[in-house]
Amino acid sequence: MSEEKPKCKDVMQHICESLGEELNSDKCVAIKNHLDSCPDCKSYFKTVELTIDYYKQYKVEIPKEAHSRLMNFLDLSDCE
Amino acid sequence: MEESKLVELAKSGDRQALAQLVKNNEQTVYNFSFKICRNRDKAEHIMQETFFSMIKSLHQFDGNSKISTWLYRIVSNHCLMLARKDKSRTFVSIDNDDELYGDKYTADWSNIPNLNIENTELKKILDESIDKLSPEYRIVFLLRDVEGLSTEETAELTELTVPAVKSRLHRARAFLRKELNEAFSR
Repeated sequence: MSEEKPKCKDVMQHICESLGEELNSDKCVAIKNHLDSCPDCKSYFKTVELTIDYYKQYKVEIPKEAHSRLMNFLDLSDCE
Repeated sequence: MEESKLVELAKSGDRQALAQLVKNNEQTVYNFSFKICRNRDKAEHIMQETFFSMIKSLHQFDGNSKISTWLYRIVSNHCLMLARKDKSRTFVSIDNDDELYGDKYTADWSNIPNLNIENTELKKILDESIDKLSPEYRIVFLLRDVEGLSTEETAELTELTVPAVKSRLHRARAFLRKELNEAFSR
């Protein structure tokens, strides 16, 4: 991949590889420069972030009954 | 009480401390199990097996990491074992870069409502999308991106190399983003 002029596909692949990691190498600087001037890549970057955010927000609470069954299963219900 | 103290007491046979360790971690384990298998019954079964394994091998826990990190490994192993038993399931291949990064659809992501308890439609989309990923990819995505472990910790837990984790991670991210994009364009 050219460091001076990355193509959109390269940028998208790199975004997916390095979200959340240090972005200070020459390659990353070139990528960031491209990102600043390319609406398609900017939008792609945003949607990958949103995808991760949705999955982060999707949490399920343990039901009370499941907790009781767990303590029974482990023979620890007398320690409640 | 600090976790290390609870572990020490539990190792010496203190059942109250053991119960407290279980209670402190059950939500994390249940939530993570559910995220991998997207099914409440399976999540509960895996949670029970995970804590059973934890109690059985607590004497081997060296205390160099948090209990939750150790539990992630046990949950992951149980889930992979379950998935390998279920030979009827097939998963999509995500090896083709052109398919992974090319968008056939244009979706307006700015109109997607926030994820909340009532938003069952969005939850259904998230469930269906991640369900298409093989468990090997799913676990890497969940550990690294959703649970927030480092790439190195994820590699250690999954017994993969760091480059292999990065490769699976970027493919999983791209695949899920593409699935969501398609769903949102409908």
